[in-house]
Amino acid sequence: MRLRAEYAVGPDHRFLANLDMMHVMERALRRADVPYRLSEGFNPHIRISMGTVLPVGIWGKQEFFDLELAAMDLDTFMKRMNRVLPPGIEVKACRSLGTGAPALMNSINAAEYAFRVGRSPAEVEPLLAEIMRLEEIIVPSRGKKKDVNKDLRPGLFALKVEDQGDGAVIRALVSVNEPLNIRFDEMLDLLTGFGISRDTILDFWREGHFIKRGERLLSPLLTP
Amino acid sequence: MKDKLFRDILPRVTKPIRYVGAELNAIRKNWSQSQVKMALAFPDVYEIGMAHIGSKILYGLVNEESPHLVERVFTPWPDMEQVMREEGVQLYSLESFTPLERFDVIGFSLQYELSITNVLNMLDLAGIPLLASHRREGHPLIIGGGPVAFNPEPFADFFDALLIGEGEELLLEFLSCLHDNRERGRQERLTRTAALEGVYVPSGYRVDYKPDGRLADMKPVSTAYPAMVRKRLVADLDTAYYPAQPIVPYMEIVHDRAVLEVMRGCQRACRFCHAGTVYRPVRERSVAVLKEQADAQLKSTGYDEISLASLSTLDYSGVSELVRDLVRTYGERGIGVSLPSLRVDAFSIELANEVRKVRKTTLTLAPEAGTQRLRDVINKNVTDEDLFKAVEAAFSSGWNSVKLYFMLGLPTETEADLDGVLALLARVKAIGQQHSRRLVEIRASLACFVPKAHTPFQWSPQNTISQLEEKRRYLTRRKIKNIKLSFHNSRTSMLEGVMARGDRRLNQVILRAWQKGCKFDGWTEHFNYDRWMEAFRECDMDPEFYVYRQRDYDELLPWDFIDTGVYKAYLSQEDQLADAALTTADCRQAGCLDCGICPDFGVSLDVKEGKADATAG
Ligand code: SF4
Repeated sequence: MRLRAEYAVGPDHRFLANLDMMHVMERALRRADVPYRLSEGFNPHIRISMGTVLPVGIWGKQEFFDLELAAMDLDTFMKRMNRVLPPGIEVKACRSLGTGAPALMNSINAAEYAFRVGRSPAEVEPLLAEIMRLEEIIVPSRGKKKDVNKDLRPGLFALKVEDQGDGAVIRALVSVNEPLNIRFDEMLDLLTGFGISRDTILDFWREGHFIKRGERLLSPLLTP
Repeated sequence: MKDKLFRDILPRVTKPIRYVGAELNAIRKNWSQSQVKMALAFPDVYEIGMAHIGSKILYGLVNEESPHLVERVFTPWPDMEQVMREEGVQLYSLESFTPLERFDVIGFSLQYELSITNVLNMLDLAGIPLLASHRREGHPLIIGGGPVAFNPEPFADFFDALLIGEGEELLLEFLSCLHDNRERGRQERLTRTAALEGVYVPSGYRVDYKPDGRLADMKPVSTAYPAMVRKRLVADLDTAYYPAQPIVPYMEIVHDRAVLEVMRGCQRACRFCHAGTVYRPVRERSVAVLKEQADAQLKSTGYDEISLASLSTLDYSGVSELVRDLVRTYGERGIGVSLPSLRVDAFSIELANEVRKVRKTTLTLAPEAGTQRLRDVINKNVTDEDLFKAVEAAFSSGWNSVKLYFMLGLPTETEADLDGVLALLARVKAIGQQHSRRLVEIRASLACFVPKAHTPFQWSPQNTISQLEEKRRYLTRRKIKNIKLSFHNSRTSMLEGVMARGDRRLNQVILRAWQKGCKFDGWTEHFNYDRWMEAFRECDMDPEFYVYRQRDYDELLPWDFIDTGVYKAYLSQEDQLADAALTTADCRQAGCLDCGICPDFGVSLDVKEGKADATAG
């Protein structure tokens, strides 16, 4: 069967790289005695695909992986995994997938980043509005396609601030994967560039992932 | 501390995961309820230190089986060091983020001579005086142990005590002794520990030199310190502690797998080998115990590979049985077995093939020298025929790349021996082309031979840098297709040689070199030979004195006071046999050769599986 799992990575594990996270999951699968499927060949590996990649430095509330395994009760899977995962990393939910379901990378197209800041919402609000009024936000592309400029603006779906009593949380809903990928560090630079200085940003994390269809945001867990 | 790290420090450095701890199976013991608090310090980066078996053993042992506590610390990479210094962050332990200066003891694992500058750098980052004589009542005691401690003199000024030999029993006795004497002053506590067999307290000895620079005398300053410091060893590995739940690092480390220590020591008696003497005699673990340990470790870690570690795993009497059993039990779940070192013979390849059913490993063989004569000199009991058979077996069973290890600058080496290396490689390649369907790739790694203390070659001159460079040029004068040669840095080896056979006067040079910015000297990109030479000059010391001269058998050597159990007379006899290119048999097969250790330490060769006759004697 194919299984999709949603998991959370707490703040203490924010420095794990993607490969590290994959090893955490693979080792947990072995410790939990999950009947995972192996690839063929001299160097067999567990058929797991990490659908979301958490950048080094941030933690995440809603990450996903897909796994191939022999039939197993979903509750048992979660219980066994959570017994062996390091404290702070937890499988939150899972479901079985049809064999033809598209890979996570091909269906997730939106993500929400959150930034906790030590300033009042009233101070932050106008800065965000200013960003949203821009017609284009041209930045040099990072990662693979260097020397090319890209426009972030079409991928900036929403930018709002929430009152949290002792401060505020900025929430940015952005486009990810294809056709336009807004990286976490691009978002961070954008905010700091508009007057939300680095030392007032107390924490940041990725709130979740979505499959955006028109204005509707669907959960990757519930949407095949 | 942790908040500051996570917010202000770690986002600015490469591989921040090195500095956060909280791995699976890490142990965080209650601070106030523990007796002696010790930081286990490894003077290299996290991913190297975490692969070290001895540290895993001591970490688990102290935390699980004693009232004391151990937390880990590694050397911060220079980018982290810089941020720490800028922000005024002191070196801290990974378990509880406690600054090192708050521990009672800091114990350094000394695996490599040139990591000493990292020791100094770590002490400095911890705000602790580098010289033992400058430390005061409230400072932690700085101790060290490991193979390098068998010639502790070049580092003696930096350590309050050094623990000689295997640490399992000694470290617990040492910590308890400190606890029992906690009301006493620093020096008094140290003196008490000096009564424990295996503890060397450098401040308890006086050293004098002859006008020509050789050692004249080394004597304890009082009867509280033993004239000879005897190494410690574990008599039976089956009952010795071994961690069932080792820490599982998040980041990829050097040996990212479960590890079984199948035996300790090696009886092959290669004459260049330091480990061969200091870990004598051979002691094995039984297959039954190893199977249990494998099971426990795999359950607690989730690793996909299990490695059989020792100095010479293929000599372990239970190796076939164990390998087959592990492959049978775990193969189906994608868990592989790996053999870190292969013996040069066909049996090794046969066994490696069984392992490879599950996982592909690189075939590496170590003939060490290019001719039979030179292999006889170093007592590497391998024939050309063994080697060619091994290679043939390998190529015909599907391997297509082989890596061979050699040493340059061995005693009595001539041009003929260098030609021998090339001829041997050519022959290996020819065998490969004959037996492999694909293109074969041959790689040779050539290390520079460094004579070490406590070996039959401890009196021999080391090849000079220019000799080694000339040999290198000779070997590379023409390219050979599909054969790659790589060479160790001859300057690094020279400095390593100085430390390996140095005396107490080197402490000032090391301190000087560190002040000039030397650190991570084992890393090519950081090693700065010229800076070291400046340090020697400024201290008015000649490094060549330690490496390039032939010593007499009756010279008092700086490490003579360390009793490894092997007689000096046995070593000199071996050196004479080497001169005549005569070999010595393995005492496991040929019977006792009277090296001294077994009767003296009241132990015996401990062969566990199927060789009862060897154990009976
Ligand atoms: S005392 Fe004899 S048996 Fe023991 S290690 Fe030495 S040579 Fe071998």
